[in-house]
Amino acid sequence: MPIIKQVDSEINDTEKRLNARDFPGLLEQLESNDPSARRWAARDLATHSEAAKALVQRLKREDDKSVGEAILTTLTKLADPVAVACLVECLRSEDVALRNEVIEAMKNLPNEVAPIMGSLLTDTDPDVRIFAVNILESLRHPQVETWLMEVIKNDTHVNVCATALDLLGEVGTLASLDALQNLKLKFSDQPYIIFAADLAIKRISEA
Amino acid sequence: MKRILIIDDAATVRLYHRNILEGAGYEVDEAVNGIEALEKALLTTFDMYIVDINMPKLDGYGFLREIRSQEIAQAPAIMVSTEAETGDQQLAYGAGANLYLVKPVKPDGLLTYVRLLIGGV
Repeated sequence: MPIIKQVDSEINDTEKRLNARDFPGLLEQLESNDPSARRWAARDLATHSEAAKALVQRLKREDDKSVGEAILTTLTKLADPVAVACLVECLRSEDVALRNEVIEAMKNLPNEVAPIMGSLLTDTDPDVRIFAVNILESLRHPQVETWLMEVIKNDTHVNVCATALDLLGEVGTLASLDALQNLKLKFSDQPYIIFAADLAIKRISEA
Repeated sequence: MKRILIIDDAATVRLYHRNILEGAGYEVDEAVNGIEALEKALLTTFDMYIVDINMPKLDGYGFLREIRSQEIAQAPAIMVSTEAETGDQQLAYGAGANLYLVKPVKPDGLLTYVRLLIGGV
């Protein structure tokens, strides 16, 4: 319905113009009771590199999906170390939907995420390590296979290795074969690992 | 023949569960996330759902809440997850799961629970 969309847009533009667009004004709008004002503030904060912390604090409390998406988009655009660190902090959230949205956002930041991937993959929390492997799924970075091989070689948690194994089956090359064989020995009592490793080895060998 | 929908974003996990269940004679369908699973649940009656938690678009909790609250399906659901925390289990049961299993699931264990919940093929 194009006419309705145009009216909505005009209303939103009007709302936007009514409020101060400087940094303090945008931070104030980010805490507005009106989701539309919060969404506009989140979008406009993309030009303020110092906004990352405030955006993440709002994200953790945000119950409007479209505002949450706008915040994640802005954090992705900021893409500085603080923004990335804030996204990592969200990976530790108990909110599954938030975690999944953050994982999707971080997949689009290969250059920014790469320097911290080593620490994510060796985090003390196995869930964070699993999410880190999830991020690698479409990170499009030349190190991905090496990172995955390191995980299945060094990690002792079966589900971290299983998650890395699933991905290695898709992106692995002949360089992964030894690591995959060794993984079968490490988890010889786990039928899923044996199944997935055999599948990965077959796919890689036939590629 | 009883039909089971496997909902997981990991292709290898879906294939692993499919092999176990088809090997025991069950009919199996797959969905890669909660949205696709909802679409299938609306069109087809399944005897059981095997649901992962962490999935893009709509996670396992969201899928179960939708099918239970919208009365789309009341068939038993096994939630499988990498997370063994008590809080995750409580969330799963609160969303409408009948059983919570921690990955990786062993074939005998999975079949035992499936037969317990919906009987043989």
